[in-house]
Amino acid sequence: MTCPHLEYRDRADDRRFDEARAYCTVADRFVQPLRADICNDRYDLEHDRHCEIFLEHAGDEDRDEENDADDGTEATER
Amino acid sequence: MSYEDYLAGEPLIVTAALTGGVHGKEANPNLPETPAEIGRAAAEVEDAGASVVHLHARRPNGERTFATERFQEIDDAVRRHAADVVIQHSTGGTGAPDAERHLPLRTDPPPEMASLDMGPLNRYDHLTSENTRGLVDSLHEEMVDRGIKPELEVFNDGHLNEVHGLLERRDLADPVYATLIFGPGTLTPPRPQNLLNAVDNLPDGALFNTLGFGKHQLPFATMGILFGGHVRVGLEDNVYYRRGELAERNAQLVERIARLAEELGREIATPAQARSILDL
Repeated sequence: MTCPHLEYRDRADDRRFDEARAYCTVADRFVQPLRADICNDRYDLEHDRHCEIFLEHAGDEDRDEENDADDGTEATER
Repeated sequence: MSYEDYLAGEPLIVTAALTGGVHGKEANPNLPETPAEIGRAAAEVEDAGASVVHLHARRPNGERTFATERFQEIDDAVRRHAADVVIQHSTGGTGAPDAERHLPLRTDPPPEMASLDMGPLNRYDHLTSENTRGLVDSLHEEMVDRGIKPELEVFNDGHLNEVHGLLERRDLADPVYATLIFGPGTLTPPRPQNLLNAVDNLPDGALFNTLGFGKHQLPFATMGILFGGHVRVGLEDNVYYRRGELAERNAQLVERIARLAEELGREIATPAQARSILDL
């Protein structure tokens, strides 16, 4: 499965490309060719195992969910 | 090779690593990616003094590919623009299956040279280019079958052991040609004494090529000139001309090395001289 945070764009910031290039919407930057192999899960690469940007973001989401749960518990206890 | 070889005036082989496979136009819009762009860049670096071009292949969107067909397109473009330059294909790549790593060797005609990574190196936080001995041996076997000279890529001092191990397992055609690579992470730390140490640990009679990543490209190329080695420069390894200033062309980096070599009294090798030195 391709990384859900991957988009192909032909323009970003002040740059424009003839061919749409991999763009990481989490990092807000074009993806280097080697990283695009990870984004697209080419070969034996998997974005959810090998991409530190995805993992970091996933960690944030997990923490957000935990915080939401904590907030809910506290609200109930109050 | 040594300082004495520098004093003896051995011609300097300049390899230009034109495109690479890790970064692309997102890092420097001047980096060539398409066959036509790579062909034109090859002509420019040949005019500037490069006798070898180190090549990777990319999809139209800049992403890597190992496909023989794409290497063929690139080689055809290079030969149209720079008929004499020595073509060296990369076989390196993180995550690619062993079978794909062989594909760059299968163009018609085959490249005169191809890279042969001597062992593993880390990429980012969660990736390793494995380069097992099994893969090294199988790539070398196909290179021998197809008459391709291996360029042994030594990413750290442990890989010097692997060079000696390869020589114990296989008959490598003389001269052994090793690229010594300096930079961050798994690479040999970029300190001058480490270059001298690496040279000292090469097999007798081996030739060496010096490769520094990023800001280390220029100083390590200079040391390569002075210590009787050869040098590799190009946008694959360094996208800057100087701090904060992107390089405009691969040839800009080669031209600087040619000027340095001239000042230091080292003749730049023509492609014919490079073929003679490397026994291609």
